[in-house]
This record gives sequence, structure tokens and C-alpha cells, in this order.
Amino acid sequence: MREIINMAVVLTLICAISGFSLAMVHSVTKEPIEYAKLKNVKEPAVKAVLSDYDNDPIKDRASFQIGTDKYGRPVNLVVFPARKNGKTFAVAFESSAKGYKGEVGVMMGLDVEKKAITGISVVTHSETPGLGAKITESAFTDPFKGKVLENDINKDQINTLSGATISTNAVLAAVNNGRQTFEKYKDKMVQ
Amino acid sequence: MAFVKEFSKGLWDVLPPFRLVLGLCPTLAVTTSAENGAGMGLATTFVLVCSNLLVSLLRKAIPSKVRIGAFIVIAASFVVITELLMQAYFFGLYQVLGIFIPLIVVNCIILGRAEAFASSHGPIDSVADGLGIGLGFTLSLFVLGGVREVLGAGTLLGARVLWDSFEPFAFMVKAPGAFVSLGVMLAIINLISARMAARKRRAQ
Repeated sequence: MREIINMAVVLTLICAISGFSLAMVHSVTKEPIEYAKLKNVKEPAVKAVLSDYDNDPIKDRASFQIGTDKYGRPVNLVVFPARKNGKTFAVAFESSAKGYKGEVGVMMGLDVEKKAITGISVVTHSETPGLGAKITESAFTDPFKGKVLENDINKDQINTLSGATISTNAVLAAVNNGRQTFEKYKDKMVQ
Repeated sequence: MAFVKEFSKGLWDVLPPFRLVLGLCPTLAVTTSAENGAGMGLATTFVLVCSNLLVSLLRKAIPSKVRIGAFIVIAASFVVITELLMQAYFFGLYQVLGIFIPLIVVNCIILGRAEAFASSHGPIDSVADGLGIGLGFTLSLFVLGGVREVLGAGTLLGARVLWDSFEPFAFMVKAPGAFVSLGVMLAIINLISARMAARKRRAQ
């Protein structure tokens, strides 16, 4: 009996201490891990759509809730500001729309004053390779640059991809969704 | 003196992948370049030293019937700590090593050293043992990764080392190349130790 109690106590203690120290390490590394992930996963896209800034958009990111998903969990919008001399002149954020196969996520950069696109980059998609997947190529994304988003942009303003109408429309819809998000949350996004 | 002896045995006498032939899963899987090999080796070394130290300190408190469970919990905790730290501060390496970091838990070297050494030796000797074995493992992975990287990509630690017209032997960085280079290295090491043993016998 003594032996059984001893075994249970020792094993419980070891597991408890282990759990406690893991929780400690987790709380210390939470911030750096989030930063490292954004830095490695999002930074290439942010760099592609913003230019001529002197801050670290990843470090200066702002995040706020813009709604809930169908399970009632909060959906956050992460905004990466581009600043020069401390003034935010452009923001980058992700916007998405439904494509041919699943969501097409687009990182878009917007000039705050002119409401002009500084660049777009398709970050997530599962479109058909060779057809819809061409939405990631610069021949498709470059014409978006400089377009002013006073109203929704339409097909005539860009190079559409023949044979990939749905994918083309998905990127357009994502950009136009982004325009609406920007109109709605402008004050929170530009700080 | 004992410290040096326990440390140095890991570098040749019980060199993990080649003499104990333990820990082959990461040895085969991550040695596509010298850098990956060294990274995996160092992560394993860290876990090994920490788990050896703790097992040795707790060896009298842990009842022998639950010792394996206790050793695994200790090793698993250090592996998760390593994983979190690596994710936070060496994200690039974490992306490359990926799934093999959590798998350090079931690496036979960790449990093997806890069971065979740390549970019956003092903390200082156990740390020396962990350092020696870990360093031996790191060096083995580094050399194996280096050989595969030079032949398979023409580079070493990312820098070009072979002549420009060298056609990379892509087979070497794929899975079969791992088996072939590991086998050749095992053969070479066995040959050297057979020679050494023969010389010793003749000297007697």
C-alpha cells in the first residue's frame, strides 16, 4: 500500500511541476512566437504590397475585432501600418473571397490619403494549378497597383485571366471586400 | 577525471548513430544539409543534458516501477520547452526541423541514457554523459548532413564549395541517399574500429 501511494505521489508531483514549468515557458514565449510567425509568414506579403516605409509594419501591427464567425468566435483583422516619420501613409491587411476551390486570401496595401492600391499579393488560395493559380503571378497582380478605390473596381480595369474567370472574380471580390472593410474601419486602421 | 571519461566516451566508444545505432529516425530524416543536422543535434543535446541531470537528481525519489513514465514526462517537458524556444527565437530552423522536434521525446537516445546511465550515476557524471553523447550525435549528424549537402547540392552550410559545372547529385539529399550515406559511414567506422582492435591485439 505504502509503495502504491508513494508511486502515485511522486508521479503526480513530477507531472504537476512539469505542467507548471511548461505554462511558464509558454507565457514567456507567446509574444515572440506570434511575432516570429508573422515575420516569417506574413512579412514577404506585406513587403510586396507596401514600400518606402521606415518602421517595422509587423511590430507595429494593430488587431481588432470585426465580427464573429459562424461558431460565435471573434474574427480579428490584423492591420500592418506603413509609416514614414511617424505618420501612417498606407496600411496592409488581408481580405478574402470565395474562389473556385475555397477561399482566396489577398494581402492588400492601401494608400490612406488617395485610397489607391499600393499593391496586392495573393497569400492563400487553392485554385487550379496552371489556370486559376496564375492569380499569384505579377502579370496579374501588378495592374492593381495605383487603382483608386472610390468605387468597386471591375474587370475592365485589370488583366483578366482567360479560362479562370472565377479565380479572377475572387481576387476582384476580395479587393472590393477590402475596400468596404477599409471604409468601415478606417479610423481604427489608421493610427 | 571521471567527468572527462564520461564525456569523451560519447565521441567514439558509444557514438550514438554509429556505435549504438540509436536515434536513426532523425539521423536519416533531417540530414539533408549540414546546418539542419547540427540544429537537430544541438536540440537533442539540450534535451539530453537537461533530462539526464533531472533524472539523476531524482533517481532516489522515483520508485522503480514508474521510472519509465517519469523519465518520459521529464524528457517530454524539455522537448516542449525546446520547441517553444526554437519557435520563438529560431523560427527558420523550426520550420525545417518541424515534426522531428516533438519526436525527440521518443528518440531512443534520451530514454536510453536516462535508463542506462543517469538513473544509476550522480548528477555531474550524468551531465558529462549527456554532453558527450549529445555532442557525438551532433557531430555525426553534421558530418552526415555535410556529406549529403556537398554531393547533393554542391554547397556546405549554404556556401558553394564545388566547381561551378558540378552537377548536383540530387539522389543524395533524397531519402535513399540518407540510407546509402549512413551505410557507407557505418562501414567506414566499423572498418576503423576493427583495425584499431587488431592493432591492440597484436601489441599485447
